[in-house]
Amino acid sequence: MAKKKEKVVDSGLDTIKSMVHQHSEFFDTLVELIPARFYLPDETERKWFPGLSKAQKARAKRKTTENLKKARRDRLDPEKSALTTLDLLKQKIEKEKKKLSNVVAEDDDESEEEADHKKAKSDSVTYEELRQRLHRKIDELKGGRGGSERPRSHEKRKKIVPNKRKREKTVEEEEDKAKLDVEEAAKDLTYGYVKIDDDEEHGKGSKKRRLSKSRELERALKLEAAKKDPEKGEVIAKKHSWQAATSRAAGIKVHDDPKLLKQSIHKEKKRQEKNAEKWKERVEGQQKVRVEKQQKRSGNIAERIEQNKQRKIAKREKKLMRPGFEGRKEGVINDGK
Amino acid sequence: MGRFKNNKKGRVNVKPIAMKKNNQANVDHVTGDKIPKSFVFSRTKLPASVKQLQMDLRKLMLPYTALSLKEKKRNTLRDFLNVSGPMGVTHFLMLKKTASALSLRVARTPQGPTLTFKIHQYSLASDIAQSQLRPRCPPDLFKNPPLIVLSGFGTQELHLKLATIMFQNIFPAIDINTVKLSTCQRLVLLNYNKDTKLIDFRHYSIRLQPVGVSRRLRKFVEKHEVPDLRNLQDVSDFVTKAGYGSESEGDEEGATVTLSSDIGRVNRGSTKSAVKLQEIGPRMTMQLVKVEEGLCSGGIIFDESENGDEKIAKKKQNEDSEEEEGEEGSEEEEGEEGSEEEMDEDLE
Repeated sequence: MAKKKEKVVDSGLDTIKSMVHQHSEFFDTLVELIPARFYLPDETERKWFPGLSKAQKARAKRKTTENLKKARRDRLDPEKSALTTLDLLKQKIEKEKKKLSNVVAEDDDESEEEADHKKAKSDSVTYEELRQRLHRKIDELKGGRGGSERPRSHEKRKKIVPNKRKREKTVEEEEDKAKLDVEEAAKDLTYGYVKIDDDEEHGKGSKKRRLSKSRELERALKLEAAKKDPEKGEVIAKKHSWQAATSRAAGIKVHDDPKLLKQSIHKEKKRQEKNAEKWKERVEGQQKVRVEKQQKRSGNIAERIEQNKQRKIAKREKKLMRPGFEGRKEGVINDGK
Repeated sequence: MGRFKNNKKGRVNVKPIAMKKNNQANVDHVTGDKIPKSFVFSRTKLPASVKQLQMDLRKLMLPYTALSLKEKKRNTLRDFLNVSGPMGVTHFLMLKKTASALSLRVARTPQGPTLTFKIHQYSLASDIAQSQLRPRCPPDLFKNPPLIVLSGFGTQELHLKLATIMFQNIFPAIDINTVKLSTCQRLVLLNYNKDTKLIDFRHYSIRLQPVGVSRRLRKFVEKHEVPDLRNLQDVSDFVTKAGYGSESEGDEEGATVTLSSDIGRVNRGSTKSAVKLQEIGPRMTMQLVKVEEGLCSGGIIFDESENGDEKIAKKKQNEDSEEEEGEEGSEEEEGEEGSEEEMDEDLE
């Protein structure tokens, strides 16, 4: 009986083995159908092409075309052995196994100690300790707010209706403490700008008369000279830069750069000249127009006078246009005695 | 007729202002001062979370900032400067992420000083909202500029004084006589810690709650929800039932104010109301590292690595004051001098 069982068992094992073998062959054929670059993850780091310069891009392009040609030739070359997907997969698995065995060899010694530590930790930390830790943390956080030492929430909840007298006292104490805290804190607070009628804001209220640009230029040059002064130059320079920075931050315009001032003076001059020219042209143009009009007018008037005269003459002469006679009596031909 | 391509390369493409609804005045018609406006942008490429931080900062500076400012890689600082003049932008907030640190530069436009802060830690507004049980964002929260409170700066040290003035001027001033209390809805808090020299930056939304009113009544008046009267015999029970006060009511004895006017339904004038702050917006821990005279240029008048570098800073300053005239603003031109590239902007 036993032999039969063994045989059955053996054949059972054999069938299982053959089945497994068949399955694995089936999967291997499937894997071989898939080209390697789709099946296995690509471990090479891709270059980020958009970030390269022109020369680098050209080089990379050449390289890829060369690689493509090479790969195509190798694929179709019957002498060179083509690594199928399966082979590459097997190589990869072997590599990983090696890695694991290395890692395992290192960790073997340490892992035992770690396991011991962990066990010790988990045993000692009980529920009660955790709870106490939590409460401590909550207290810390609440205390950090700056409030006074009042009964904490989880302790409060034990008594739903506390003793009223006690509660009043503690409330008063809290109020006083809070007031002290507020006073202390308020000593060192600055707020944003608030406009009140009587006060004037930082520096903006004092609107002295605007100096003309040339004056400002003089001032700026003086300042520069003062900065270069060997004795006090540095002190002056530092003081001025801080002052200038503060007033600029407050919105006041500080003109201390002689170059910019010169530029703006120059621009202003040019602008004035241009305007003066335009004005002159305008005036001239007006004059011309006026003169022309006047001339035309006087011309027209003169013409009219002439025409009137002519008309009158013509009228006079008309009377004498009798048939047989034309025009004025001109006298006898042989006049003169 | 062929299609003619606009071949003017190097032209700033700024949308003409007349086309958009630019309903922002340059001058505050109440106080008569110029309203400070700002640009928040970055010159380098930013990782995703820092981009979010930039967006949070933009929302913080609303309404006087360009919410959907688009910058291209080719835009230099010069371009922004040129556009800021006609648009009346007074401050630039620039974020910069390098391998070593994340820095925020606050600068005043025409030739103003630049303060460089190194951001040690930051939290985004979305993270803070997630961490809260009931995040709050009323619809018109960002329609008015925030108030600003600076604490711990003192008046002694020059660089701190400069920082206070800078921050005070980023937000417009409020006129006591004409301001409506309901427009003060946000608060920016900067706290300076002398020991660590770090500045904490927080952004809160302000909420007013009347003091001394039981929770049920307050909720009822605010929301007009029909209360649950099943277990009560009489309406008087609903009104007079003693509830627990809010847990933090004892805390805020110092934070009650007497309002001058009514705000909303619940807070009536000349009664006590508690001021409740709920945090929104980014949270940062920064350190003032550098102060420069010009806009990202000019002499360095304060450097955090002070003790060793004071002399170097002075030397540089002396040299710079000679060369400053020739090089104001030229440090930022990275090979593209004076060319103005495409840039789209939308001002809200």
